[in-house]
Amino acid sequence: MRFRFGTFIAIAAASLLVACDPSSTPPSAGTPPPSPAQPQAASTPVPANPLQRLAIPQHGIYTGAYIDWGDKEDTVTLEAIEKFETMVGKHQAIVASSSYWGEQSFPDDNLRLITRHGSVPLVFWSPWDKPYVEGRGPDKYSLTSIIAGEHDAYIDMWAEKARAFGSPLIVSFANEMNGEWFPWSGKLYGGSTPIPGSKPVHFQGPETFKKAYRHVVDRVRAKGATNVQWVLHLMNYSLPQEGWNLAAEYYPGPDYCDWLGFSLYGAQFADDDWTQFFPLLDWPYEELRRIDATKPVMVCEWAVGEFPTLGSKSDWLRDAFRLFKSPKYPNIKACVYWHERWENDDGRYSNLHVNSTPDALESYRQGVADPTYLDHPIVEPTK
Amino acid sequence: MSEPDRGAFIFQDPHGRRWPRLRRVLVVGLLLVAVAVVWFFRTLLTHPELKTPASVVPLKKQLKAAINRTEQDDPNAINWQRYYSESKSAQDRLDKIKRQLGKTPDPKGEIRLGYYVEWDPNSRASLEDHASSLTHLAPEWFSLQGTDSRLIVEPNPHLVSFASAHHLTLMPLLENLQGNTWQPEAVENLANGTADKRSRFIRDLLAQLRSMKAGGVIIDWQQLDPAYRDNYSDFLQQISDALQKAGMELWFSVAPGEDFKTFNIFGDPDAQPGVKSNRPALETFVNRFVVMLHDENSETDAPGPIASQPWLEGWLKVIVQYADPDQWIGVLGAYAYDWNTTTKKTETITFKDAMSRASYAGVDATGEKTETGPPRFNGQYQYSEPSGEHTVSFLDAISFYNHLRVVRAAEFGGIGITRLGTEDPQIWDVMELKGLPTPSVLKALGAIKAGDSITNVGRGEIVTVDTSREDGARVVTIDSTRLPPTRPDDPFEATLAEVHKSLLRANYTDFATYPILYHQGAGGEHEVAITFDDGPDPEWTPKILDILRAKGVKACFFLLGSNCEDYPGLVQRIVAEGHEIGNHTYSHRNLAVMSEWQMELELTATQRLIESITGRSTTLFRPPYNADSNPTDIAELAPLRLAQEQLGYTVVLEKIDPQDWARPGTEEIIQRVRDLRNEGNIILLHDAGGDRSETVAALPRIIDYLHTRGDRIVSLSELLGMTRDELMPPIDASHQPLERFVAGTGFRAWHGIVGFFWAFMIFSTGLVVARTLLVAWLAHRHHRTGIDSTAAFQPSVSVVIAAFNEGKVIQKTLRSVLGTDYAGEMEVIVVNDGSRDDTAAKIGEFAATEPRLRLVRQENRGKAAALRNAVAQSRHEIIVFLDADTLFQPCTIGALVQPLAHPLVGAVSGNARVGNLRTFIARFQSLEYICGFNLDRRAYTEWNCITVVPGAISALRRSAISAAGGFSDDTLAEDTDLTLTLHRLGYHIEYAPDAVAWTEAPESYSGLAKQRFRWAFGTMQCLWKHRDLVFNPRFGALGWFSLPNIWFMQIGLVAVTPLVDGILLWSLLFGHMAGVWYWFAIVLGLDLFLAALACRMDGERLHKAFLILPMRFIYRPLLAWVIWRSIFRAFKGAFVAWGKLERTASVPSRA
Repeated sequence: MRFRFGTFIAIAAASLLVACDPSSTPPSAGTPPPSPAQPQAASTPVPANPLQRLAIPQHGIYTGAYIDWGDKEDTVTLEAIEKFETMVGKHQAIVASSSYWGEQSFPDDNLRLITRHGSVPLVFWSPWDKPYVEGRGPDKYSLTSIIAGEHDAYIDMWAEKARAFGSPLIVSFANEMNGEWFPWSGKLYGGSTPIPGSKPVHFQGPETFKKAYRHVVDRVRAKGATNVQWVLHLMNYSLPQEGWNLAAEYYPGPDYCDWLGFSLYGAQFADDDWTQFFPLLDWPYEELRRIDATKPVMVCEWAVGEFPTLGSKSDWLRDAFRLFKSPKYPNIKACVYWHERWENDDGRYSNLHVNSTPDALESYRQGVADPTYLDHPIVEPTK
Repeated sequence: MSEPDRGAFIFQDPHGRRWPRLRRVLVVGLLLVAVAVVWFFRTLLTHPELKTPASVVPLKKQLKAAINRTEQDDPNAINWQRYYSESKSAQDRLDKIKRQLGKTPDPKGEIRLGYYVEWDPNSRASLEDHASSLTHLAPEWFSLQGTDSRLIVEPNPHLVSFASAHHLTLMPLLENLQGNTWQPEAVENLANGTADKRSRFIRDLLAQLRSMKAGGVIIDWQQLDPAYRDNYSDFLQQISDALQKAGMELWFSVAPGEDFKTFNIFGDPDAQPGVKSNRPALETFVNRFVVMLHDENSETDAPGPIASQPWLEGWLKVIVQYADPDQWIGVLGAYAYDWNTTTKKTETITFKDAMSRASYAGVDATGEKTETGPPRFNGQYQYSEPSGEHTVSFLDAISFYNHLRVVRAAEFGGIGITRLGTEDPQIWDVMELKGLPTPSVLKALGAIKAGDSITNVGRGEIVTVDTSREDGARVVTIDSTRLPPTRPDDPFEATLAEVHKSLLRANYTDFATYPILYHQGAGGEHEVAITFDDGPDPEWTPKILDILRAKGVKACFFLLGSNCEDYPGLVQRIVAEGHEIGNHTYSHRNLAVMSEWQMELELTATQRLIESITGRSTTLFRPPYNADSNPTDIAELAPLRLAQEQLGYTVVLEKIDPQDWARPGTEEIIQRVRDLRNEGNIILLHDAGGDRSETVAALPRIIDYLHTRGDRIVSLSELLGMTRDELMPPIDASHQPLERFVAGTGFRAWHGIVGFFWAFMIFSTGLVVARTLLVAWLAHRHHRTGIDSTAAFQPSVSVVIAAFNEGKVIQKTLRSVLGTDYAGEMEVIVVNDGSRDDTAAKIGEFAATEPRLRLVRQENRGKAAALRNAVAQSRHEIIVFLDADTLFQPCTIGALVQPLAHPLVGAVSGNARVGNLRTFIARFQSLEYICGFNLDRRAYTEWNCITVVPGAISALRRSAISAAGGFSDDTLAEDTDLTLTLHRLGYHIEYAPDAVAWTEAPESYSGLAKQRFRWAFGTMQCLWKHRDLVFNPRFGALGWFSLPNIWFMQIGLVAVTPLVDGILLWSLLFGHMAGVWYWFAIVLGLDLFLAALACRMDGERLHKAFLILPMRFIYRPLLAWVIWRSIFRAFKGAFVAWGKLERTASVPSRA
C-alpha cells in the first residue's frame, strides 16, 4: 500500500521512543539464538479435505513478500516469485497479494499458484471500487453497505471458493483502517463521534468498522471456510493518533482474529524524514500486545524507500531483521516485505525494492538468511 | 547335365503340361499382385478430403473492418507546450536560433541512423537492400542488467564486417533493458555507486566498442529516478571523456519531455522547470542527442497516433528553441501499432502487416476514408476479429516525408529510422527526394507494391497460410490545408509555415495484400499444450504415455508414418488414452526440398496408416524441421499451403522448443521451457529418434512446473475451441470406402509379410541353435567313444567302381585301391559305362598285371545301371563302392568294413575328404566336407539316422542291396535313395571316420554348380520319394530329425538366403530392420562354432574354421541358386508323374 501520512506520525512517535532502542544493548549477550526453525521439510500444502491452516510457529518468524503485482496488486506470476526468491536467497513462507471488491471475484488462480509453489497466500481483501485511488472516500462497497448486507452474495461466493480452495489462507480485510487514505477508514464513518450511552465510551468510526468486520468474518465462517485465518491489519501509528482511533478501538474481539498485524514503513518519499526502524516497531508492538498478548503478531507490510541522502536503507533493513527476532517481541511470527517501485506524480520514484542498491540487497539477504526466518509454512489441519 | 529319360524318374512330367499350367497361374498371380500394389500406391496419392474444422479456417473471414470511431482527443499531442517557454532567456536563445537558421548545414552531410534488431530477418533484409542509404547503424548489443549492473554484450560479428564493408559507422545501443523490463536500478546503482565500479564499467564498455570497431555508443536509459540527476551527469561526463580519448562519440537517446529534466540536457532552468543543477548541461559534452520523435502514443497507451505532425513539430520547436539543432538527430518512426482494445494487448507490427490486416479485413471496402492527412498525418483504421476490437495506427512513406521535411527544416544533424524491417519500403525513395515532388513522383508514391514479404495476423502457433498478393494504391497529393502556427513570432514557425505549403497526404483506396500467416490458438494466458514429434517409439512412447496418464494430461503426438507402421499398437494406445495425433510426414524429410507429389505421398500414406490403425483421420499437420520459427521466406510457405489448401490440414507450429532431441540435459530442458514459456503456448518435445531418457525425466517436472505457475495443460482441440472429434474425425463409412479398404488391406498385408518374416527368423534361429547344439553333442559323444579300426573283422570284399570318361584319374584310383593293406580277400570290379575316352584302355593296362581287377564293359546307361551291373558281377557279400576320382589310403578298406561285423549293419559310410586343395572353391568344399558332411555323419550315426552313404566311399552288404531292390534309376541320387531304402528295411547305417578317402572336388564355380545341382535335385527327388518317412514314428531319429533337417536346413533355409541377404544389404544401406543383424550374427557364430568343432575332431587346424565366414557370402548364394534351380526344374516336371511317384515309393517296402 502506498500512503503518505503514516510515517509523518511515526516520526512524531519515534522522537519519543528513540531513547530506549534495545539495539543499544548487545543483541547476542543474553539472547539465546532462537532454536533453528522447524526443519524446512514442511510439506507443500495440498488443497484437500480436511481443511488446513497455517500453524503458529513455536520458534521462528515466517518470512514473506508482496512482489510488484501491478496496479491491482494481483498479477501474481511464478516467475516473479522465483526471481525474488533467488534474489534474496530464501524461499518465501508467505506471498501477499490483493483481492479488490471491485473485481467481484475470488483470486483462485493466484492462491493456487502461491500454494503450489509451497507458500501460504496472504490476501488483502479490500472493499473498494474502481478506480482504486486513495483518498476518494467511501464508494459502493462502503462499510455501511456491507453491514446492510448489500454484498452478502459476493461475500458468500468468496467464502465458498475459499473453502473449496481448502489450503491455508490468511485474509487481511480492510487494512490500515486507522489511517485516513482508504475508503474504509474509521475516520470516514463518524470517526470520533461517541456512541450515546456506551460505557466505556465507544466511537462511531471504529464501531462501524468492527460491525462490518464481524459481518464479513461471520459470513465467511458460516460457509465453513475454516482454512481462512483472519489478521486485523492496522497501520503501525494511527492517523490521527488520537484516543478514539487507536488500535484497541478497532479490535473486534479475540474470536474474530487469529493474528494481529500492522504495516510498517520507513521513508517512502523524497520529502519524508528518515525514521529509524526501532520506533516504528516498538510502540506499535506494545500497543497490540496490550490489546491481546496471546495473539501472534504479523508485520503485514514493511519496507523503506531508497533515499541515500536521507539515510541508509541497508542499515534500516539490518535493524529490521535484528529487531523482529529480538526477545523483546516474542509475539512476532511473520513479516511480509513490500517489494515495489513506483513513479510519483512529480516524476520521482519511490523505490521500496529490496534490491534498490547492492548494499540494500546484501543487507536483506544477510538478515533474512538467519534461520529464525522461516522459509516454508508449517501447515496443520483446522480445528 | 544329362536328363535321364526313364518314365519312372521322380518329378518327370512326360506330357509337359504341368509347367504351362503352373506358368499361367504364376503370371495371373503376379499380375494381380502388381495391380494390387499399384492400386495401393494410388490410394496413397488420393487425398483423404479432410474437412478443415470450421473454427480453423475462417480467421481470415472473421476479420472485419470497423467503422472509424470518432477520433478521440490526443492527450499527448500538446505535452510539448509545457516546455515551450515564453521567458526572457528563451527570447535570447531565439536570436541565437535565428542566427543558426542562416548558417550552412554541416558539410559532413546528413546523418542517417538505422535501428537494427537481430531477431527479425526482415531487419537484415532491409539493411542489405538499403545499406547505401545509411551512414550509421544502431544494433541493440549492450544492456545493463540487475542490481549489480552487469554489462551484457551480445555483438554479431557478421554485422561488424557488414558495416565496415558498407562504410557504416556502428553505434550500438546501451539500454537498461532485460527482456521487456526496464531495469532502472542497474543504472542508478552504477551512477550512485563507487567510482571504482564506474571506471571498471567504462573500461569494459570501451574494450567492447573497440573490438566492434564502433564509432561510439548510443545510451538509451529509461525509467530512471530523476533524484540522482547529478550522478547521471557526472557518470555520463566520465563516459564521454573516456570515449573522446578513444576517438569515439557519445550519443544520448532522449524521449522528448521528462528526459530533458532527468538528464539535465539543456542546463536551462526555463526549459527544465524544477531543475536546479550545478552540473554542466549534457549538451556541453554529449556529441549527439538522438531524440525519439515517435511513440506519442505507445504500446501501453490508449490507441492514438504514433507521431502526429503537430506533436512532432511541437517538440522540434522546443528543441530548436533551446538547443543547437545540429547536435540533434531526429528518430522517425517507420512502423505500426495494433492495439487490441478488448484484451489490452498491443503488438508492434510492420507497415506491411498493417496493409495486410486492413486489406483482409476489407477496410478499403467500407467506404470510410483511411488517410495520412491533416491534422495528424498518421494512418489509422479499426477492425475486429473474434478475440477483440483492434485499432491500428501506422506510419508510412507519406508521414515519413512530412516528418523528414520538418526535421530538415529545423536543420537537425540527421535522422534515425526506427526500425529497419518494419518500414514502408518507399521511405527510401522519399529520403532521396530533392525539391518538391513532381506529379510522376506522387504517382510512384501512390503505388504500393506487394512483395514476397510475409505478414502476420493473429496470435498463436496454429497457422493458416494465404499466399495471394496484390498491389495496393493510395492517392498521394500535396496538402493545401495549413497547420496553425502557435507563436507567429517564433522564426522557426515561419520556416514551418513554408514547409506546410507542401506537405503530402495520402488517401488509401486499396490496401496492398501480402502473403499472410494467420495465427490462431493463443488460448488464454494460462493455457498451454504439450506436443511430441517423431514417434511412436517402442521404448520411449510408452514411458511418456505412462507419465501423461499419471498426471492426467492430454497431449498431441505428431507421428511419423514409418513409425506408425512399425508400432500400430502404440498409435492405438495414444488415441485410446485420449491424446490427439497429428501427421508429421512419413519419413521426416525436409519438405522444402521435395516435389509436390512426394509431399502428398508422405502425408497421405501417413494419413491412410493412421486411418487404418485408429479408425480416425487427423486434420493436424506439423512440418518436420523449423516448426518453431515463423516462416519469413515465401518458399517456406509453399509446403504449408499445399498441406492446408490441397490436403486440408491445419498446420501446427510451436514456440517453446527446448531442443530436447539434442540432449542438453534434463535440467537444461526444464530451464529452457521455463525461459520460453512466455514466448508461446505450444511446447515441443520428442518421444522418438534416439535416447529420450532426458525428455522422460524432464516431462513430469515440466508438467509440475506448468501447474505450479498456474497453467492449464490443454489439448490442441481445446486451444482451438473445438471438439476432439472435429480435429480427429472418426472415419465415415461412406467416405472413400474403397480407397481406405485398399490402403488398409495393403498395410495389413505388408504387416503380415513383415510379421511372418520376423516370426520365421526367430523360429529358424531357434531351430538352428537347437540343431547345432544337438549335432555338436552327438558328434562329441561319437568322437569320444571312438572306433577300434584295427579290429580283426576281415571279410572278403568286392570293390566296385563305376567309370565314365575317367581316363585321367582311373589309374591313380586303381593304384590307391590295390595298394591297400587290407588283409582279407579282395576283388576290384570296374564298370566302364561306355566311356568315350581312353578309360577302357587305361583299365585294361592295369587289369593285365593285376588278377584282382576285373573290367566290365557296358553301353552308356548311367551310373545306377553301371553299379547294378557291377554288383551283379561281384562275388563277395561285402561290397565297397568308390568313385572313379577318389583315392583310398592303405587302411581305408579295413576301417570301412569294420562296422559290418555286426550283422544288422547294412551299410557304412566312409570319411570322404577333399584331396585337391589348389583353388579357393576346393578349399571351401574341403571345409564343407569336414564340418558339414562328416560331422553330421558322426552325429547321425549315434542315432542311426544317416541319410546318405556316399557313393564316393562306402561299404554295403550285398544281401542288403538286393533286399532293397538294387540301385534304382528314378533319382539322380541313387546313393541317398539306397540309404533311405535300407533304413526302411531296418538296417543300421554306420559311419567309419577313419576310413578316409580323398575325393576330387570341382575346382570351378560351374563345375561345383553342376555337381551341387545334381545333388540337390537328387536329394529332393529322394525326399519326395521317401516323404512317408518324415515324422514317421517307425523310423525314429531319421523321420524326426535327419530328414526334416534336410527339408528345413538344406532346402528351406538355403532357399531364403537371398532374401535375407537382400534385407541385410537394405539394412546396411538404409538402416531399417536392424533386427536382421542379430539373426545373421547368431547363424554365423553357430557356423563358426560347428566348423571349429569339426576341425578339431578331424584333426584339421583350427584356423581353417574361419574360412566359414567368407564361405557364407560366396558359397551360400551358389547353393541357393542351385536349390531354386532344382525347385524350378522339379516344377517343370508333370502332374502325371506325381501319381506315378506314389506307386514307386511303395516298391522298396514290398521287397
